[in-house]
Amino acid sequence: MEFKKQTLDNGMDVIGELNPSAKSVAVGFFVKTGSRDETEQINGVSHFLEHMLFKGTDKYSATAVNEAFDKLGAEYNAGTSWENTIFHAAVLPEYAVDVTKIWIELMRPALRDDDFNMEKQVIKEEIAMYKDTPAFDVLDRCRKLHFGTHPCGNSILGTEQGIDGLTAEQMREYFTRRYGPNNLLFACAGNFDWQAICAALEKTCSTWQRQPAGREVQPCRGSKKKERIEKSNLTYEHLCLMSPAVPAQDERRFAAYLLATIVGDSVGSRYYWELIDKALAETASLQFGPMDGTGVFCTYIRCSTENVPKVLDTVTSIFADLAEGGVKEDELQKAKNKTLSTLVIENELSHGRLMRLGANWQYLQQYRTVEEDIDSINAVTTEDIHSLIAELDLGDFTQFAIGPEKPTK
Amino acid sequence: MAEQQFQHVLKNGMVLLGERMDDVESVAFGFLLPAGAALLPEGCCGAANVISDWIFRGAGGKNSRQLSDAMDGLGLHRTHSVGTTHTVVGAALEATHLRQALDLYADVILRANLEPDQFELARQLAVHRVQALDDDPRQKVMLQLRQQFYPPPLGRSTLGRVDELMSLSAKRARDIVGMSFDLSQTIFAVAGKFDFDAVCRQMEKLFDTDNEEALEPLAVGPRPARYTHITNESAQVHIGVMTGTVPPPEKDYYNARVAVSVLSGGMSARLFTEVREKRGLCYAIGARYHGLKDVAGIMCYAGTTPDKAQETLDVIMREFNRLGDGIGEEEMHRAKVGLKSSLILHSESTSTRAGGIGSDYYLLGRVRSLDEIKDRIEQATVDSVVSFLQHHKFGDFTVVTIGPKEIAVT
Repeated sequence: MEFKKQTLDNGMDVIGELNPSAKSVAVGFFVKTGSRDETEQINGVSHFLEHMLFKGTDKYSATAVNEAFDKLGAEYNAGTSWENTIFHAAVLPEYAVDVTKIWIELMRPALRDDDFNMEKQVIKEEIAMYKDTPAFDVLDRCRKLHFGTHPCGNSILGTEQGIDGLTAEQMREYFTRRYGPNNLLFACAGNFDWQAICAALEKTCSTWQRQPAGREVQPCRGSKKKERIEKSNLTYEHLCLMSPAVPAQDERRFAAYLLATIVGDSVGSRYYWELIDKALAETASLQFGPMDGTGVFCTYIRCSTENVPKVLDTVTSIFADLAEGGVKEDELQKAKNKTLSTLVIENELSHGRLMRLGANWQYLQQYRTVEEDIDSINAVTTEDIHSLIAELDLGDFTQFAIGPEKPTK
Repeated sequence: MAEQQFQHVLKNGMVLLGERMDDVESVAFGFLLPAGAALLPEGCCGAANVISDWIFRGAGGKNSRQLSDAMDGLGLHRTHSVGTTHTVVGAALEATHLRQALDLYADVILRANLEPDQFELARQLAVHRVQALDDDPRQKVMLQLRQQFYPPPLGRSTLGRVDELMSLSAKRARDIVGMSFDLSQTIFAVAGKFDFDAVCRQMEKLFDTDNEEALEPLAVGPRPARYTHITNESAQVHIGVMTGTVPPPEKDYYNARVAVSVLSGGMSARLFTEVREKRGLCYAIGARYHGLKDVAGIMCYAGTTPDKAQETLDVIMREFNRLGDGIGEEEMHRAKVGLKSSLILHSESTSTRAGGIGSDYYLLGRVRSLDEIKDRIEQATVDSVVSFLQHHKFGDFTVVTIGPKEIAVT
């Protein structure tokens, strides 16, 4: 593995992790923008804009873009989160430069009115689809409740009404502000020709003008409110619990990740033994969500409505046990083993490497080898986890539930 | 890179397959046990889901927690799934722990504790999973579609039925384990970093039991209803469409795969272009090949708001029906490149390769090399695919919808 880096004069970083024996290469643009960078008036624009990049440029129609990717046999997609928009593709090594050139073109989209109006329909369909996915819906609503007026509570998709009211002009203004080269990162991982990739990027991206992007970063302790809504077509109760965690830049992120594995991994965790093994809940997980300057621990549980009181009692006592007795040495060791093997397996795919490479650069401006991450994971002690538990108090959470209508008594 | 594929058959008939991969530190393995949903006795739909949970709740002298701890201690990523013909249990892990992992899996498969109180919990969870499907119309519509497309028992729900799960007893489930975990019909597949000779020696010690009686071949019944609508006050109408095509062992298999790629390979393929790009009818739209050994189909999903549901189905049907009218050279090229590229990109994953060689052996009786698959895709031409489509016209379509509004199916 060899790390490569270049910064263009306008501030755009280009990084690569070269593995000459890989059978593929993954490349991507990482844009430091998401729903937390939106105001209420333009909520949903980051995600909508991600769709619009595929609609082409002054030179290419949407059809031409799709055909160009498919001609290379690229596996490509994009995703928008609360704070990042990532455009990525995996191809065979001989197409690395070609696929990079397509992404470069798309980073300066035409944003045509006709395309905007057509894609609006697709966005509204996506919003409808997620309304039918309670596991997603409850997370989105719990986030809003937890973060309150903090921008990290903004919905990624926005609302149907909000999207209806959004104009192409508002999107163009947002694009200009957020897609400046100083807010973009290009990264590649796998088998590629570094010189050729850099030459392609320099030729076009160097002409892009810096923009004042920026982001106000504030921590958030969360509202700790509890709410429930009903939907007549649901069978099960969908519960989300959210509490503060450490940010992506914090060195304690490894401890936080291990704590989440100990408590809420799909097998062998405390949730597993207390909730799943005993058939109290059908699904129960705890995930650590590190973000820019803030973070959350997020629990998702699916169970019958009648089991909710017992499930909540159990979760409360799991958190109380953690606060009182901490975690055991062998529990931590098992969590480390699972985490390390995940790291090794994910790292065997170019796409997995690209995501690690890009995230480390976005949050830390650092290249970290897998070995460094392995060392950091191995170095976490039970004391590290105990001090995290003492500081963060997982038992003091925001709670949102979506469930079926309760029969009137 | 020279491919490194291996095969060995134990005295009892259990087949061991291996594919060694360079430049990886992980290994993945799977046991394809002949205990899929279609092979279960009548009235036990869902038993395989209970069993694939139950066998991990203690085995080989370890109780449930000890066994789980031992697996977590090795950092195993456990997988288990129930398909139409097989229940697959396996794991992905760092290569150094393979030997200990196989010892544990031999316990799980041959010496599970199968305690009645643990059965009850596994059964309750299986019931919960079926019930929870009501809150996931996207998954439910596709399961229902398969049930209606394939003749029984091939279409049986791989999750199970609540009524049959409720009447399943521990004794009955234990009998099914005894009957279904037939090693003579079991395929073991391993891919990644390993020593095949060492694996064979260990597997011989662990699994070489006496020969067992072969299971009887499946008798299939008539196909059920053609269109079903399930009313649900959901935001979208979830549409599943399926029609028959040639199964994997047939010579036209690659023509069928390329045809599906023209229809729904990448974002420039026909369904995405016509349904989403030109008309904005859907966010999620796509079709894929789904093959069993003797029957196969092309299954398509679309989710759309009620007012657009009819038009969405009409456009999908039109695209299926006009596929045999002709295919452009350019779109043929894209379809083939997409299939080949996807094959190679996914071949870097040990889990994908272990799954691939196992299912190849079951479906074809042998393992294909990546080069062979690439060559066969390469051999497909516009003429061969169009001629195939004209000789295998899409016949009946099975359609399932879930949502607030029923649509007209002609």
